[in-house]
Amino acid sequence: MESPLHHFEVHTIIPIHIAGLDLSINNAVVAMWVGLAIVAGSFMLAVSRGISPIPGKLQSILEISLEFIRSMVYEFIGEDEGKKYVPFIASLFLFILACNLIGLIPGSYTITSQLAVTGAFAVGIFILTLVIGFGKHGMHFLGILVPPGVPKIMIPLMVPIEIISMLARPISLAVRLFANMTAGHTVLAVLFGLAMTGPLWLGWLPFGFTIVINGLEIAIAFIQAYIFTTLTCVYIGDVIKLH
Amino acid sequence: MPQFEQVSVFGSLIFWSVLSFGLLFFILKKFAFPPILEALEMREKKIRTDIEDSEKLRNEAQEIKRELEETLKAAHGKAETIVQLAHDESKKAQEKSLQETEAKVRQIQKDAEQEVLNSRNKLLQEVRSYAAALTIASTEKFLKKALGDEDKKKLVEESIEQVVQELEKRQRN
Repeated sequence: MESPLHHFEVHTIIPIHIAGLDLSINNAVVAMWVGLAIVAGSFMLAVSRGISPIPGKLQSILEISLEFIRSMVYEFIGEDEGKKYVPFIASLFLFILACNLIGLIPGSYTITSQLAVTGAFAVGIFILTLVIGFGKHGMHFLGILVPPGVPKIMIPLMVPIEIISMLARPISLAVRLFANMTAGHTVLAVLFGLAMTGPLWLGWLPFGFTIVINGLEIAIAFIQAYIFTTLTCVYIGDVIKLH
Repeated sequence: MPQFEQVSVFGSLIFWSVLSFGLLFFILKKFAFPPILEALEMREKKIRTDIEDSEKLRNEAQEIKRELEETLKAAHGKAETIVQLAHDESKKAQEKSLQETEAKVRQIQKDAEQEVLNSRNKLLQEVRSYAAALTIASTEKFLKKALGDEDKKKLVEESIEQVVQELEKRQRN
């Protein structure tokens, strides 16, 4: 039986090496591009058809997704401040959703199951929150390390705890997405492996489970994209509002 | 786990994913999101305006309805007054007409009675005159007939007797 983790292996398709860096195009990148092409293509198709006051099916789906993200941004960041972050958060949501969903196609790849990728995004968002915080509040932003109402004597204790809490954010953000995607695909691979290797009279059972788990994975793909972007909104909202 | 073992691909995965995300963000932000978000906002604005307008129209309609009801009520009151006035007027006119008719009838009756009386008197007068003429004529004829002395005497006696009786009757009265 093949290892259930085998499909997480990355295979180089077009090797590219620039200044000693390996920037080869691999199966994970190609799968990601397919997902992103579908997203960008859908939006561009809807826009090229012309945005009508009475939306068609495609426009309705895109409007619902944007409206959903916009309301989420307004809820956590606020309408005035949140307006400028809507495109970023919406792009992030669509990027993660597309990567999560495209990986459910057999033979494809979920780039969000790579901790390096989720970590890079989580760290990027963490740095972005710091930039927003310092840009908006200057050095007062450091006040985020002292929760309001804390007695002065507790400050030396609270500051390290808050720093750890802040640093834990990108780690939890990265690990959550990576772990969920990896676990789901591993379970699917195990069940499918069982279905393929077992006799027919027994093999239908794990195969049936793969169908159920696949449905669950589709839901998880949406939920994880939602959680990732919601937490991004929460973090941005926190640094904007400072408690 | 391949995700931790294939360290050499980390660079390309991070590079291409971040670059792809950046590109997707740029395309969507530049070309796709503005018209869709604008359409959403326009629709929201339109819905809000429509709701406000409908609310305003509803209030106006209620105001008009209230005014109409008041006008209708006033008109009803006015109509009732007019009907009452007309009723009173017609009753008055009816009574007046009745009185006039009665007076006219009475007058006509009176006139008729007077006329009848006059006619009767005239008739009686005529009858009397005819009777007198007839009496005179018959008396003349009767007188022309030759009366015997005995009869003349008897007739004179009877006439005297009658006159005396009449006188006595008048005296008693």
